[in-house]
Order: sequence, then C-alpha cells, then structure tokens
Amino acid sequence: MNDSVIHDLRNHQPRFRGLEAGHRACQGCGEALAARLVTESAGPDVMVANATGCLEVFTTPWPESAWRMPWAHSVFGNAAALAAGMEAALKRQGKSTKVLAFAGDGGTFDIGFQALSGMMERGHNVLFVCYDNEAYMNTGVQRSGSTPHAASTTTSPPGKARMGKRHLKKDILSIIAAHHIPYAATASVAYPSDLRKKVRRAMAVEGPTFLQVHTPCPLGWGHDSGLTVEVARLAVQTGLFPLIEMERGGVAGVMPIREIRPVTAYLKAQNRFRHLFADEARAREELEHLQALADHNIEVYGLRGEHVDRYDTEGADTLHRGGARWA
Amino acid sequence: MKTIPRGAFAEPGTSLAFHTGSWRVQKPVHDRRPAPCHAVCPAGEDPQTYLAKVEEGDLKGAWETLVAANPLPAITGRVCPHFCESACNRRHYDDAIAIHNVERFLGDEAIRQGWAYPLRPAGDGAPCVAVVGAGPAGLAAAWHLRRLGHAVTLFEAMPQAGGTLRTAIPQYRLPREAMDAELERLLAIGIEFRPHTRLGRDVSLAELRQDFSALFLGPGNQLGREWSADFAVPSDLRSGLQLLQEWIATGALPVEAKSVALLGGGNTAIDLSRVLRRSGVAEVHLITHQRAPAPGVPSDDVMRAAPSEVAMALEEGVIVHEHRGIRRLILRGERVIGVELVRMKKLTDDRGRLHRVAFEGTETVLHVDMVIPAIGQVVDGEGFESLLGTGSYFKVDAWTGLLRGQENVFVGGDARGDHGTVTEAVGDGRRAAMAIDRLLRGEAPPAPDTAEPVAYESLNLHYFEPEARAREPVLPVERRQGLDEIEQGLDANQVRHEAHRCFSCGDCLACDNCWTLCPDQSVLKTRDRASDGSHYVFDYDYCKGCGLCAHECPTGYIRMVEDL
Repeated sequence: MNDSVIHDLRNHQPRFRGLEAGHRACQGCGEALAARLVTESAGPDVMVANATGCLEVFTTPWPESAWRMPWAHSVFGNAAALAAGMEAALKRQGKSTKVLAFAGDGGTFDIGFQALSGMMERGHNVLFVCYDNEAYMNTGVQRSGSTPHAASTTTSPPGKARMGKRHLKKDILSIIAAHHIPYAATASVAYPSDLRKKVRRAMAVEGPTFLQVHTPCPLGWGHDSGLTVEVARLAVQTGLFPLIEMERGGVAGVMPIREIRPVTAYLKAQNRFRHLFADEARAREELEHLQALADHNIEVYGLRGEHVDRYDTEGADTLHRGGARWA
Repeated sequence: MKTIPRGAFAEPGTSLAFHTGSWRVQKPVHDRRPAPCHAVCPAGEDPQTYLAKVEEGDLKGAWETLVAANPLPAITGRVCPHFCESACNRRHYDDAIAIHNVERFLGDEAIRQGWAYPLRPAGDGAPCVAVVGAGPAGLAAAWHLRRLGHAVTLFEAMPQAGGTLRTAIPQYRLPREAMDAELERLLAIGIEFRPHTRLGRDVSLAELRQDFSALFLGPGNQLGREWSADFAVPSDLRSGLQLLQEWIATGALPVEAKSVALLGGGNTAIDLSRVLRRSGVAEVHLITHQRAPAPGVPSDDVMRAAPSEVAMALEEGVIVHEHRGIRRLILRGERVIGVELVRMKKLTDDRGRLHRVAFEGTETVLHVDMVIPAIGQVVDGEGFESLLGTGSYFKVDAWTGLLRGQENVFVGGDARGDHGTVTEAVGDGRRAAMAIDRLLRGEAPPAPDTAEPVAYESLNLHYFEPEARAREPVLPVERRQGLDEIEQGLDANQVRHEAHRCFSCGDCLACDNCWTLCPDQSVLKTRDRASDGSHYVFDYDYCKGCGLCAHECPTGYIRMVEDL
C-alpha cells in the first residue's frame, strides 16, 4: 500500500486523533496510549495545559507537535494553575471550550499538588488528568509519591537497608475527593471502554473533575513492551489499583473484580519488584505486605464481585465481532 | 527537516514528519492460520469461516462457504462424529462450539430456501470424468469435479443415490426426507446420473477407461468380513451388516432371540445394537476388545464408533463388555446357548504393529441365544478385480487417493480401508477431484496443507466471556421406538448464539482491539483497503514494533516477525 493511500486512510479514521503518530514515546508506552484514548473521547473542542514530563517531552520535540488541538506547555508544578487561567480567560470570552490539564504522577502527587489543590478549591471547570506511571520516568526513574511500596527505582534501590521504596503509594484520589469536587475517578489503559466512559462523564460535569489513569511504563517498570495492557489489567485484577468513581467525596461506583488474582501475578511480571522474589524472609514479608494492601483495597471499596457482571473486570472488555464493545 | 535558528519562532510542524518506524526490530503482521476445527476436518470444511458469516447474519454466504468443501451438510451435520468439536479450542474454556448443529442447520436451511449450489456451467468439450458409486465419496467427487469445470457421469448399481447413507444408516439418525432432499438437489446441478448400472454387469471397466479421461471409484464395502473363528459356528450365522441393511430396508428383523451377543466396536455394531433393542431384544451385549469413548481413554484403545452414538446406545440399555473377545461359542447342537468371553486387548508387537492378545485365565461364560459378528466389511471386487488385486481394500496414495500403479484411477471412501466415516469419504472425493483436475490440466498433484493450526495458548482469552453451549432437544429414551429422528437440531437463534461463541481462531474478528490499543496511532481501520480479509492495516512508517497489538489480539491473528 503506497504512502498516499495510507495518508488518506489516516485522515479518514472514524475517531478524533488528538495525539498523532510520530511522537517519540518508548515502545509500548502506557502513557501515550492513555493520552490517545483520553483525547479521543474528550476532543475536539478542548485545550490542554500540559505539565513538564514524559508526555510533554515525547509529543513536542521542537519544532514538531503530535497534538492536533490547542496545547500549552507549563512548567513542572503549575499545569493546574495554567489550566485555571485558560479556563478563566475562555469564560470571560464566553467560549465553551473545555480545558484539560495533563500531568504525570510527579506533576500531580508531588510538585504540582498545591496548584492542583488550589484549582480544585476555586472550582474551575477543568478536567485534570493524571497519567500515573508511578515514578519520575522522564528523568530516569526516580521515586515519586505515587511509587508503590517496595518498588525499586533509581532512588529507592533494594539493598541491605530496605526492599525498594520504604513508603506507601499516596492515596491521591481520596485527597482530591476531599476537595468535595463533583467527580473524581481512577481508570486504567487495560479497560479502554471504562476509561472512555469516565472521560465523557467528567467532560459533562461543570466544575473541577479529576481522572487518575494507571499507565504502565515498560522501561521504568521493567516489562516487555507488548505486556503493557496485560500488566495494567493485573494491577486491577489483584486489587492493587482499584477502579473507582467518587462524587462529592463519596464512593459512587467501583469496578467489581470477578476473579481476584494474587498480587504475585502482577509483581512477577515486572523487574521493579524482582527483589521480592529472592529467597529471604524480608522479601516474603514484603510480598505479604503488598498482598495485605490489595486485600485492604478490596475490603474498603467492596471490590469482590458477588456474581457475574457485564461491567466487572472480566466482562468490561468483552469483545464482539465488528468492534461494538469499544463504542 | 527545516532548520530554524535558535531564538527564532517555530513554524507549526507535525510529528508525522518523523518516522518512528525506523526504531523497529520486529513488526506485526496479519497471519491467517487454520483454526483447529478446519485443520482436523476430514472433509476440508472451515467452520470458523462459516460461523463468522452466520454471526454476520449471512446464512447463504455461510452455506456457500460450507459447500465449497462439503456438498452434503444436512447429511454430515447429522451423522458425522464431529472431529471439529473434539479439536475446538473453546472446549478448554467452557464447551466446544456445536459446529455439527450449525452445519446441519445451514444444510436444512439451504433445502428449505432452495439456495442454488454455487456453480458455473461446464463448458463444451470439458473433459469427462466417470465416478463409480453414488455414496458420499462419489457424490463429493462429482460435485467438486463439476465445480472445477469438468463434466461428470455418475454410475450407481442401486436404483437411488446415497450408498451407505441409504443402506446402512438407521432412519432415526438420518431421516430419509432430509437425505433425499439434499441428494436430489445435488444430482440436479448437472451431473449425468446413471442408476441401475453396476460395474462388471452393466458397464465394464474397459469401457469406462476408453470413454472417460479419468475414473473415481467409491464402491464402498459391500461384503461382511469373514469371521475367521477357529471354533464351531452355527451354519445360519448372519453378519451385522446384513441384518442392519435388512432392518433399514424392511423395518423388521428376523430375530427371535431374547439375548444377543454382538461382536464389534464400529458404527455397524453400535447401530445394530440399538436396532436390536428397538426390535424388542431384552439383552444386547456388545463385545469389543476396545473401550467405550470416555475422557482419558487413549485414541488407539477406543471403539471406532462415534462417541455420541455409543453414549445413546448405553442410554438405551445396550450392555458393553469392554476389552473382551469371544473365545468360543457354547452350542447345543446347532443352537447357540452362550459364549465364552475372554479379556482381550490390542498390544504393540516388537515391530510396532498392533495385534490382539487374549489373556489366559480370564474366561467367563455369557448366556445368549444368538451371536452376531459385526467385525467390519471389505470391498466386493466384482467388476474391478484387476484393480483390487488380492487385498480386501484398494491401496492408494493417502492424500489424493490415486490408486497404486495407475495414472488416472482414484479411489475414495470406505473402499480404501483406512477410514470409515461419511465425512472422511467426502474429503476423499474432494481431494481426488482436485488431483484429477490438476492431472487433466497437466499440472502437479496438490500437496497436503501443513500449516500449523492456532493453539489455545496463542489466544487472548481475557476478551471472551463464558457462555453455555446451546443444547438441541433429544428424544427421551422411552420415546425412541420407531424411525423418529432422535436429535432434533438447533433453531436459528441457538445457531446464532453458537456462531457468537466462536473464538474465530486465527482470523480477524474486526473487534478493534489492535486499533484501540496501539499507543502510536499506527493501526488504521479500513474495511475497503485491507486486502487480507481483516479490517485494519499497519502503518509501518510509525509502528515501533512494541508487540502490544499481537499480545492483545484475541484470536492469534497478529504475529510479530523479525524486522531488522
């Protein structure tokens, strides 16, 4: 098939292409996939404020851009502040264009947190999307407030003193929900239909909304690039990354887990947890610790599926001939 | 790329200018591979393809795909032991697709709707091929020869077509209305049919050789195998095949016995055992040196009869004596009063050949009034002695059926002696027809298809949901008296349900998984431009070769290949 035919096809895809090919994300990048899915569902009448991070770097190598919508780069910590300003200006002009803010977990949990909290508190009509790959991947895999307990990063290496990161993954969703905003949810690249549904829900809400998307990083997590979706799916199926929706601070919905998998199924697939499979007591204890964290999530959010549900972890992405499920 | 000096403005540029495809060391390709159901079907059917058409709602297209391999779906859908379902990948997940029910439904639907067999008229002067025997093998050969543009003359000794279907398959398995409807339609496609014409009596082999460019022989096995018993047998002993044929033709059996020992483990033995029960024989003992089909029984130790038929025979009260043989008959004068059974098994000898071994010291006595051997049939060589030689069966090339030592004579069906189902006979006819076509066009014979079928492990099962297999209504045991068909088939909704359950192994489902999950916008959706039967093309200018699409493809249709 020649180039002009392909080009023509590309321009006639039955979906909005907010994030175009040619970006420099690594092979199998979960964040690129998530950003593609989010912009498909949110666009085209949107503007984006994008914090510094992988997403900003790989999509806009000067003088090119992979974005096919208005997009502005902010510094690391103030994507929410920039988005708030954009929203206020559009409002003043009487325009209805929705403003999105994109940031990684560093730009959300840590460096960008106060700007985010302020934006939420002031009630700006902005959808803030956190692409959560659980470390500072852009700068070489340093731990963040989102890095899960016991994961190895370049600044939380396993060794004599400890088994990877000593602290826990910050429960950002509860913190955000505590701002009493109308809608906050978690989503995963492993469940695109669910992700799209949540984006559309957030887009329809007037006021600040928040979406945390779990996006595996083959490089930082140490798994094969073809396993991105598999790994993300295991995070949900084990209970380590619960898919939940919160409205005004209360839990409004969860994706039930039909077949709860042991956390080892998830951890084994990634090199960042490899040290937990050493034959020593500390490693065994940490594995039990992570299992207890998953069990805690399952209990607190009531994730255990009592019966077969079309929208549970096994039913939510059941496919059909002709692709109807992704609609 | 345009060079812009530092501190200057940037003109808008798209990342499409940068071809990330150069990073790639492997690339995804669409790899259409045979589904296991297709790979094992002796008739060469591709159930995966016609199930897909059924799901799309294109029943006629599904039937046309089906008859492109097997012109007798209403018949095989009823009598085939369904090799396809034993191989179906879905059996590891919940339950195999009810493929035989879909096949039967399509066959019946074609009859009901009068769909024409997809065929071009044979051109003038097309080479003419003679087919001897209008059983499943001969009919399939005739059909495929016509499809391939040859003229066909079909010779049959009996007044009607059907062969074994008509003479040796009980009506409760294959109702004659269903069979006749399909056979009539098939014979009407432009095959010259000559019934009442027996080779050796009404027409000679020499004449056929002179008048036709090639011959296909599907004479079947018409003689009951001699029971080479080294003990006394009653003089009025009748073979199982004779009795079965008599019951089918007249609806009655000349059997007074209260209890019968039936020796054999094939379809004739099973069919006759059930017929005997229907005729009022209280005890029917089936003696076989093999075992009834059950999970875990090795294939070389299992009875040749179709598993579902054995199961129904057991339901109907037939007593199966596994791993047993008959050592001698217990006679009072000429009358049988019992048999001496012995434990018996097939074992491999030093040269790797199977032979039966009786175990001394395991003899028991079974009191019966009658003994019937149903130990197989052999070719009746009358009319083609020169081709058969001294053997019981024709010796042929396993793939094409070309008779050894001949250039244009092919044999298929039971007369080959290496298999004994209708479906295998249909496959023989099909492959021989393809070989004859090549031969007459001066080309090399077709080679066997050796592509590896899609393994269960290469599917991504996460994207499927368990769904119960549709069950057809079955006559309860107490109502299985006359000729009423026992298995009553699925309705249209159930058939669509089964088509929907199909994993579509090795073929594109158009499910959008690759298109949805590519992080690099390198899978483009198109129905018109994808020439490989899928709905997608890869844009290799940008594909980085991550392998996500291949891993998440539910059907194993996308494969990663090295691309350095």
